[in-house]
Amino acid sequence: MNPVVLTSACDPANEIICAPSDVLELFELPTIFSVGPFDVNRTVLLTFLAAGLVVAFLYFGLRRTSLVPSKFESITESLVLFVKDEVAIGIIGPEGVRYTPYLLTIFLFVLVSNLFEVTPFVSFPITSRMAIPLFLSAVTWFTFVIVGFARNGIRYVTDIAWPKSVPLALRPLVGLIEIVSTFALRPLTLAVRLFANLVAGHLMLTLLLASGVVFFGAVGDIGLRAIIGLPWFAFGLGIFIFEIVVAVLQAYIFTLLSAVYIQTSVHPEH
Amino acid sequence: MVEELSGAIALVGYGLAAIGPGIGIGIVVGNAIQAMARQPEAAAVARTTMFLGIAFTEALALIGFVLFFIA
Repeated sequence: MNPVVLTSACDPANEIICAPSDVLELFELPTIFSVGPFDVNRTVLLTFLAAGLVVAFLYFGLRRTSLVPSKFESITESLVLFVKDEVAIGIIGPEGVRYTPYLLTIFLFVLVSNLFEVTPFVSFPITSRMAIPLFLSAVTWFTFVIVGFARNGIRYVTDIAWPKSVPLALRPLVGLIEIVSTFALRPLTLAVRLFANLVAGHLMLTLLLASGVVFFGAVGDIGLRAIIGLPWFAFGLGIFIFEIVVAVLQAYIFTLLSAVYIQTSVHPEH
Repeated sequence: MVEELSGAIALVGYGLAAIGPGIGIGIVVGNAIQAMARQPEAAAVARTTMFLGIAFTEALALIGFVLFFIA
């Protein structure tokens, strides 16, 4: 059920703390329809919408490239060039051009998914469902592991587990830490970073804006004291602008870290 | 005494988890600003590295935030 509706269910005149009777209701989205064994809910529909938006954006932006680009075309081009020059070539080096399509795809998909948080009438970031960041970071994990083995063979793992640049006495310890951090912690923190940022932002927006709405709605019961909803609502609007920045920044950081992880597989000695 | 505390113990844990990354992000950003002020022509490199440093440091606080929900 809608959180705003749930919080409105309690009476702010008598109860100081308004809590929904069942918190899990906030996290379980109802199934809209089923295709065979797959249940389709709002998250699935928005995932397909995000993917479709990215494909449409790139298709219509780069369909007919002209000498003097139109406004839309130059926006698309500047985004593509940003990922290619700043992230792919800037982090990985000259051979980073090969990884530009992957980085561009992940950047645009995460960007659109994050911006759903601040889109009116959608206001639900699909990256705040753990499945989607976890899947994206799993793709990055497979990419950098496969690139590492293809470039360096078995030395990719042995160099990590037995680092030559470390004093002999410390090598087993550092090697163990490096193995755990490279193959287990990297994908986990990559996913959790995106997920937790979006959940925290979504919670803050919901709590602040909904408490403003609830106080205004109770003006009949509590009279002029409903004015206390005004600072909450204003604070919520401030956080709203902050969340736009967070959405763009987190998409950038996800792409940047994917590039850094691929870079450590391409040039493992650095 | 312990039973009285059990309700909000996860919140205390999140607060503790946020101390270290808070100090760490302060150090990262402060030094990045110094680098940009001293060498404005290297600002692009400093900014990218700053975001990387923030992302790595911030992960600890975010894990604490997630554990607050799990606990």
